Amino acid sequence: MLAQARSWWRAVTGQSRLAGEMASEMDGHMERYAADLVAGGVDPGEARRRARIEFGSTAAAAEECREAVGLRWPDELARDLRYATRVLRKSPTFTAAAVATLALCIGANTAIFSVVDAVLLRPLPYPQHERLAAVSRFWKEKGASGDNTPQTGSTWEAVRDGATYLDSAAFSDGSKGVNFTAGGSVEYVQQQRVSAGFFRVLGIAPLIGREFSADEDRKGGPAVTLLSYALWKRIFHEDPTIVGQAVTLRGEPYTVLGVLPASFRSTAPADLWTPLRPIANGEGGGSNYHIVSRLRPGATWAQADAQIEAVGAPVLPKSLDKVRLRLISFQRGLTSDVRKPLLMLWAAVGLVLLIGCVNIAGLLLARAAGRTREMATRMALGSGRAALIRQMLAESVLVGLCGGAAGAALGWLGVKGLKVLAQDSLNVWQTVDLNWRVLAAAGGASIAAAILFGLYPAMVASRIEIRAALGEAGRGVAGARNPWPRRLLVASEVALSVVLLVGAGLLIRTFAHLQGLNPGFDAHGVISASLSLQDARYATSQSVNRLFDQSLSRIRELPGVESAAVTLSLPYESTLNTGLRRLDGVHADAAKEYQITNFLYVTPEYFRVLRIPLLRGRVLTSADAGATAPVVMVSEAFVKMYLRDDQPLGRHLDLGFGDRREIVGVAGDVQQKSGWGEEYGPVAPVPAVYVPAAQTDDKFLQLVHGWFSPSWIVRTAGPPEGVIAGMQRALEAVDPRLPFAGFHSMEDVRYRALAQERFQAALLGALAGLAMLLAAVGIYGLIASSVAERTRELGIRLALGATVPQAMRAVALPGVVLALAGVAAGSVLAGFASRILGHVVWGVRPGDPLTFVAVGVGLLAVAAAASFLPALRVTRLNPAETLRQE
Amino acid sequence: MGKQVDILQGTLDMLILKAVSLGPLHGYGILLRIQQVSRDALQVPQGSLYPALYRLEHRGWIAAEWGESENKRKAKYYSLTGAGRKQLKSERQEWKRLAAAIGDVLAAEPEEA
Repeated sequence: MLAQARSWWRAVTGQSRLAGEMASEMDGHMERYAADLVAGGVDPGEARRRARIEFGSTAAAAEECREAVGLRWPDELARDLRYATRVLRKSPTFTAAAVATLALCIGANTAIFSVVDAVLLRPLPYPQHERLAAVSRFWKEKGASGDNTPQTGSTWEAVRDGATYLDSAAFSDGSKGVNFTAGGSVEYVQQQRVSAGFFRVLGIAPLIGREFSADEDRKGGPAVTLLSYALWKRIFHEDPTIVGQAVTLRGEPYTVLGVLPASFRSTAPADLWTPLRPIANGEGGGSNYHIVSRLRPGATWAQADAQIEAVGAPVLPKSLDKVRLRLISFQRGLTSDVRKPLLMLWAAVGLVLLIGCVNIAGLLLARAAGRTREMATRMALGSGRAALIRQMLAESVLVGLCGGAAGAALGWLGVKGLKVLAQDSLNVWQTVDLNWRVLAAAGGASIAAAILFGLYPAMVASRIEIRAALGEAGRGVAGARNPWPRRLLVASEVALSVVLLVGAGLLIRTFAHLQGLNPGFDAHGVISASLSLQDARYATSQSVNRLFDQSLSRIRELPGVESAAVTLSLPYESTLNTGLRRLDGVHADAAKEYQITNFLYVTPEYFRVLRIPLLRGRVLTSADAGATAPVVMVSEAFVKMYLRDDQPLGRHLDLGFGDRREIVGVAGDVQQKSGWGEEYGPVAPVPAVYVPAAQTDDKFLQLVHGWFSPSWIVRTAGPPEGVIAGMQRALEAVDPRLPFAGFHSMEDVRYRALAQERFQAALLGALAGLAMLLAAVGIYGLIASSVAERTRELGIRLALGATVPQAMRAVALPGVVLALAGVAAGSVLAGFASRILGHVVWGVRPGDPLTFVAVGVGLLAVAAAASFLPALRVTRLNPAETLRQE
Repeated sequence: MGKQVDILQGTLDMLILKAVSLGPLHGYGILLRIQQVSRDALQVPQGSLYPALYRLEHRGWIAAEWGESENKRKAKYYSLTGAGRKQLKSERQEWKRLAAAIGDVLAAEPEEA
């Protein structure tokens, strides 16, 4: 077996050597025979002649030899491909159209697949990644279900202590910007918090040094950190003595324990790591931890899954008995938020490829009509039907390969653009590139597409009556060929386009809805800058508020500044959510009953800077400070949700500070990202409470500054450039070791908040546009070739007194009718398909009639244009000439 | 010279294996050897010799090597491989069984009625 494979491979790869050897071997044979004959007394010329005759045909012998070493099908393939090249070269228009169509489709698929591959398919870069899992809270409710990977501190403790089949570690979601000081320069770096054993569970050993021990991962443990290779290289020039040295992080000295390898990628982009120090209360009271587990040797997933469910039962909320802990693949756990949008895009781009295939199949069917005589001749000469199909498939595959190569080139360009978009809007931070996997997929898709679009036309074309086809001489009055296969293809193309267009329409309407929401504030002329206060020097409310007061008063003095304030989070961004109790009024909550709201601390001028209207009561003032009675402002949505039919002013709330806060004012709603609830869109007027920054306590500030970087917002009268420099100087004068992380206009903030929706709408819109173009080309081609086929019939009709408009209608009508059928079928399909968009569509129902009608009417208009345009050729027909032509 | 006999394909393979088992030979040499040993009773059709050689080489029963022939010309020499030796042995046994069986059939006396 092996010997045969080797011999075959040698034969295939050494074609010219093989031919040369055969020729020289057979020539030698004949010469030796001739020499023997000469020795026997035969004349040399006669001897050579006899040797050749007795040997027989060397070509036939060589052919048999090639077959003997298994070269039959490679030989036939080469012959088919040579012939296919000749055929395709002779019809450049068809070839160009087919290759271009395929190139566009494969290009789009390659680009999207590169992202899908990077995020969802490529194995995580950890040893034995298939033994890694994320611990998830699996919920099921009203037919819907889902996985939540963030877990509370008590869940983590239960898993750590109880799930013995697993080696588990906890880590914080994403990474946070912090201030890092080394060698006199201040840097803003990304810090990720991970528990002891995190790197062990991932299977990564530090390049130098060691990872956090359980003692260091405990409340009050020593301040230690691990550095990324990139940071170590950039700041410490790969100094190996760094282990044991101190760096300044968040204003405190931290001892460097080690450096991770250059190839290591954590679960979020990070420059350095600090111990997570998970606890069951405080931060751990909310779902702020993620858990990664590695299946221990000898354990099975079934055992581990059963155990984790049992471990989770006591710590999960009792009232929600439909929730249980389970294990999901770690990759799935890390990509849960981008999984659906990406799969949706993948499906859309696959649909475009399908439409492209249908389109090329239509072109091939049209060509088959023109090749009847060629096929009939070849069959008459002894070619079998299978050989004809194989020959035509070779043509398709050749088109597929050319289209695939051009598509890969287009995809390469697409990946470059998509990379930027994906990083901005999908939070994809894995390396997206055009690697061999993507190229192999593109190649496979091209070949599969070629067979998909080539097989059916080839079967149709080879099903012919030889005598009829040769006798007919391509005349016929009304085109003898059955037009229905091609018509069905065009109708299905239209139907598939409807699905894509409806999907794109819904996403565009969603984006328009979100974009059109009243922001609730005046973004014009406001710039913002955030900075990290996760800093030992700002551990108290007093120091934080001193920083706010001093920096703001300097900023207010800057020329061009109208007003300035600090807020925990900006509009359009996500913010802290917190529990609350209504202490009095109509809806007073029972002792252990909590509601949930967004929470912001602000300095008093916040509402003035953003021009948020005051609806009732008063705004916060600088008099609302630590010593005075605790107050709070609430948003209108808060009143609607929690204080409906009540008098909000004067009511008291418990916001978890252990005091009674009086509601002194109601502010207009502001668009914000909600930290909870499936009922809110990407941005929504979420219920919010505003607490004066001066009335917050130390513990609370330390906690929230670990999660959020507060923002300075400034309303300017003139251009912002001078103000930005002024703000930096003002902050530097107050604290030279505190850098702003970056300046953004409020318009920028708003733009970024809708990045994902914009990306999806734009990409799906472009794909749907491509689909519509392909469908239009398909209809155009159908009508154009039908005009060409029916020239004679049309000539007769015109000669018999039909008017030009009548003749045009006769030709173009099938196009419109087919489009109508396609739109009807497509609308039904889209009705089903749009349901899966339920979770990304906001402000519009998935069955939105406007979208469906607009898509239907638009597509019909395009179809009508694509039908009547080629029908115009009828106006140039001269009946007399057409009839004479034969 | 006696009467010449055409050779069946399977038989040709066996004869080639036998011919090269006595030492490496080029194609023409194999032809000559078979004719000599059979005292010209077996006539190998020249056109089908080479496909048979390529088939046997492809199966790994004979190995080919380029060398110089008696008249200083390059020639491809075939020799028997280990696998070929095994094959020849089993084919020879098969042939003997077949020949014996046919011999038995032909030697049978007509039964007296």
